[in-house]
Amino acid sequence: MRSRTLIILAFIIMFCITIYSGVYANSLSKAEIVHFWVAVPAGNVTEPITLRGAGPPINMAPIIIDLDARGLPKNLLNPNIEAISTHWIYNLDKRPHKLGLDLLNVTFPVEWEVSADWPYDPATHTFTKPLPPGQRIPNLSIDWIFKIPAYYMDEQVIYDGGLLVFDADSGQPLTFIPIKFVRGEISSVGGTGSCH
Amino acid sequence: MSLERKKQALFKNKYRYLSWIIGFFIFVGPFALLTRLVYFAIGNISTPDLHTICMRMPLDWVFSGRLYNLLGQPVMTGFTVSVLITALLAGPVFCGWLCPVGAVSEAFSRAVPLPKKFRFHVKDPSIARSLRFGFLTGFILVSILVGLRYTYVGGICCRYCPASVLQNLADGLFGNTLAIEYWHTGSILVLIFWLLVCGIFTFNGRGWCILFCPLGAVSGLIHAIGAKLGFYRTVKNKGTCKNCGSCSDVCPMWAIGSDIERTLCINCKECVNRCPSRAFGMVWGRLKESDPIGNESS
Repeated sequence: MRSRTLIILAFIIMFCITIYSGVYANSLSKAEIVHFWVAVPAGNVTEPITLRGAGPPINMAPIIIDLDARGLPKNLLNPNIEAISTHWIYNLDKRPHKLGLDLLNVTFPVEWEVSADWPYDPATHTFTKPLPPGQRIPNLSIDWIFKIPAYYMDEQVIYDGGLLVFDADSGQPLTFIPIKFVRGEISSVGGTGSCH
Repeated sequence: MSLERKKQALFKNKYRYLSWIIGFFIFVGPFALLTRLVYFAIGNISTPDLHTICMRMPLDWVFSGRLYNLLGQPVMTGFTVSVLITALLAGPVFCGWLCPVGAVSEAFSRAVPLPKKFRFHVKDPSIARSLRFGFLTGFILVSILVGLRYTYVGGICCRYCPASVLQNLADGLFGNTLAIEYWHTGSILVLIFWLLVCGIFTFNGRGWCILFCPLGAVSGLIHAIGAKLGFYRTVKNKGTCKNCGSCSDVCPMWAIGSDIERTLCINCKECVNRCPSRAFGMVWGRLKESDPIGNESS
């Protein structure tokens, strides 16, 4: 009888721990390594929008990351480095685009970690093969790692720029997603925090 | 365990430990030799690593209803399906012999000479099983809620990912220091729990596998079915067993009590190689009373 009680109790405890870890993960996904979706052309993304094309509906919004909303372990052990990430870049246009990427208004070091099943030039941050209409860049993983100097960490606004996606052949801007790192504001993100 | 016995155990289990090293080189970047070969064969030019063949995400997609991802990521899906089919036919040998995540934590635990009394150990396999499936049930429910876009719950599959942490550590070890510069809360917690709490401070070092691995839990369930159908499994001869407890002393999955708990056993053969009265063996097919290893338990 005691053993049966213990078995049920063990099950309930692990179940509750797992559900709580999901709730905690939800709070972290808005402030740490935020994942977002990108579609071109979307113009200047000044408010939340949903674009529909060949693939799933794509939600985009200005990205505002509140560094104060990060988890305690992060703020204690690794506060000066933050990252954003995408696995999804879709071409919803009617013609192919050779896509170039640029982070605007960066005043401190940002490392780009890019892996994709699509030819990419790390020197110019350009995908050198045109992406056909209705397609996504396959097996994409881009992490932008922001190394924030300590003296910026006391500022209310730490970074105020954005990600520009442009046509590398014509230089024409296709999509601009504003990105802001702040301290003490409610975060808003463009997509859900999960890989792929 | 005395040093001499440790040496004997190391020698007897040499193929398994060698297999861990092979598992590391075929799955973990910058080597990822098997994945590289598969990518080469299908013409994929991206850089493979342990994260690119994540075998937990396909489970997450199934439970969250995002089945279209299974087709979009055929390599991940293929690896996961292969592991589950192998679990049916040969038991969860991927977990016991190849998985770099489990291998590293078990190796750490075995290498650190910490007295047993400082290590967490659930001696009753029924309770260990209950903990494991409490987690799996929670994992499935979280995936369903995420799939339904329930806003108070976030995905735990990627947020707490030991494969990413291991890959980052390996990248750092092999010269890419950027990989170990960024840590988010989830990865910090995983490092603490996977290597320290569930590794070094857990008896035989597979606490993460037992308590927090959805692929391991699903493989265990499938192995239990496979064993009932007569596929490859570890068996214990109760008639020969002298109840010395050596088997449970070396079992990394806490799977041995009076019987073998199939949903935990990973066919690692530690008990087979350790038992002084040779009460354990590996078998295929259904057993008869007259078989040498007869009187199969569980």
